[in-house]
Amino acid sequence: MGVLDGIAQGFAVALDPVNILYVFIGVLIGTVIGVLPGLGPTATIALLLPLTYEIEPHTAVILLAGIYYGSMYGGTITSVLLRLPGEAASVVTTFDGYEMAKQGRAGPALGIAAIGSFVGGVLSVVGLALLAPPLAALAVSFGPPEYVALTVLGILLITYLGTGSAVKSLCMAALGLLLATVGQDPIAGTTRFTFGQVALFDGLDFVAVAMGLFGVGEILHSLERTEKAQAVARRIKGIWPSRADMRDSAGAIGRGSVLGFLIGVLPGGGGVVSSLASYALEKRRAKDPSRFGRGAIEGVAGPETANNASSTSAFIPLLTLGIPANVVLALIFGALLIHGVTPGPQLIDQHPEIFWGVIASMFVGNLMLLALNIPLVGVFVQILRVRAGILSAFALLVTMAGVFSINNDATDMWVVLAFGLLGWLMKKTGFEPGPLVLAFVLGPVLERAFRQSMLISGGSLSVFVTRPISGGLLAATVLVVVISVVTARRRARVLHRHDELTPAEGER
Amino acid sequence: MEQWRGHLHRIGPLLVLAVGVAALVGAVELSLGSLTEPGPGLWPFVAALLLTGTGLVLLVVDDPEDYEPFTRGSARIAGGLAGLAVFVAAFEVVGFVLPAFLMLLLWLRVFGREPWRLALGLAAAGSIGLYVLFDTVLGVRFPSDAVAGLVGA
Repeated sequence: MGVLDGIAQGFAVALDPVNILYVFIGVLIGTVIGVLPGLGPTATIALLLPLTYEIEPHTAVILLAGIYYGSMYGGTITSVLLRLPGEAASVVTTFDGYEMAKQGRAGPALGIAAIGSFVGGVLSVVGLALLAPPLAALAVSFGPPEYVALTVLGILLITYLGTGSAVKSLCMAALGLLLATVGQDPIAGTTRFTFGQVALFDGLDFVAVAMGLFGVGEILHSLERTEKAQAVARRIKGIWPSRADMRDSAGAIGRGSVLGFLIGVLPGGGGVVSSLASYALEKRRAKDPSRFGRGAIEGVAGPETANNASSTSAFIPLLTLGIPANVVLALIFGALLIHGVTPGPQLIDQHPEIFWGVIASMFVGNLMLLALNIPLVGVFVQILRVRAGILSAFALLVTMAGVFSINNDATDMWVVLAFGLLGWLMKKTGFEPGPLVLAFVLGPVLERAFRQSMLISGGSLSVFVTRPISGGLLAATVLVVVISVVTARRRARVLHRHDELTPAEGER
Repeated sequence: MEQWRGHLHRIGPLLVLAVGVAALVGAVELSLGSLTEPGPGLWPFVAALLLTGTGLVLLVVDDPEDYEPFTRGSARIAGGLAGLAVFVAAFEVVGFVLPAFLMLLLWLRVFGREPWRLALGLAAAGSIGLYVLFDTVLGVRFPSDAVAGLVGA
């Protein structure tokens, strides 16, 4: 099937009234939770996973994807108005966005962010439609050794590109791999680490683990830290940027789209890295870099464009290789597995409605977000009036009821509670839950591929190096690790410098 | 006492190490097999090896700055978790509505510091509303409900 046929089919799916409704619900929920600090896209998607059981798999992914890129829009609003990033990728927007707001230019900052996000999202959708089919065709020829190399590359990239300490992330990835072995051995069926509990024979439930670590764990962690939310009374005027604003940011939006797209494809890329990279690029290119941090509109336009572009292109590795590029995609991977759909190179042929439907729905969703954001910013800000205590109490109760509904089994509630406690403690001790969940999802894939490779090669580990693609992937793994260690230092410096700058400026 | 305080952050890596070593032992007991014919324990062994290795590294190089202090707020969160545990236990016996009401009340009063009237109202509306949503609309089969039984619903 050609790309054009595919896109036509995709729009047929995306424009189905039911799916339009779910895109709308998705981007609306996404925007709302993007505004709310303490409830990010990961937590929300984890909390809503049980509800996707009842709907078609493509509708489920359309909904979850909408929440993901919708939250990228929403996070901008609070970053600009309150210097309160609703989710991690918007931290960069606070640098110049909040300064613009202080100068009375909150409207154009939000407007250009929405426009940039739209452009970045749409360009990225086009790139996804063009690049994914050939990549999937290539991936069909992959054997088990290539999958081992690819999965290892994915897990390593995520631990190295993540925000915290790389050793800690690797440690959590190891724990995820280990937890994934609970239950029956995928080949011989021997039970492992079940301690005689029948409930554990099928392994730990992915949804319960994710809901515990992200949903409950993050709610508890943010509840402990949030101060009373400020109410916003200011009216925001002149959302639509002036012609001069547009001219100033056009280049930043273009570069942000390309950069975000490329970074999003890399495992571990995702929002934070792409927005930081775009900010650094714009600052380096600027004639007068000292304007950055003092309300330069390019400093809002570029990163906002990049993070939305990356949240779209991050779907490429999932839809073509079956490797989730970040934690949100790992959750979507899990949602598809629950529906009996295994994402991978065959997805385009076997489930074209999922592949093309999701792509087309992203276009529709971005259009809705643009239409929602520009007139409704003032309404979204009012959501901040909901107090954290009320929000968390209800979110926890819905989590508990939701997780029970998966198997009508209270055991899952205990699993959520245990992983909630673990997630909270991990957050407090600087261990990232992301690599754990990702490794937990990929663990069975990796183990099966590893054991099949051993059967093919007759027990020789050299099979991973001598086959050209797997050897090349492993070489790439080493290369990327080296590069990212170097750039991670630089990134840390950029953030550090801003930490020193902002308080002083805030006091003025 | 004082010289110990600087090393408190090493409890995390020590726990990781303990889990790693326990998993190594468990994996060996499952039988490793050989690379040609991997036993059920081989893969868990590899994962446990990685866990133990990173745990050892963290024991030495970990940055104490990563650790947030445990405060009175942390104690409240721990209390809230205990409350949730009571909720789950009670849910298995008397169904959803009553434990949900009490849990919401606890969280709204203690963590949200909402006034009594608002907390009571929200807890009542929330527990009944969510019961109707999950049990009646979504058709989830909660354990038979003591409160709903009283009113004959």
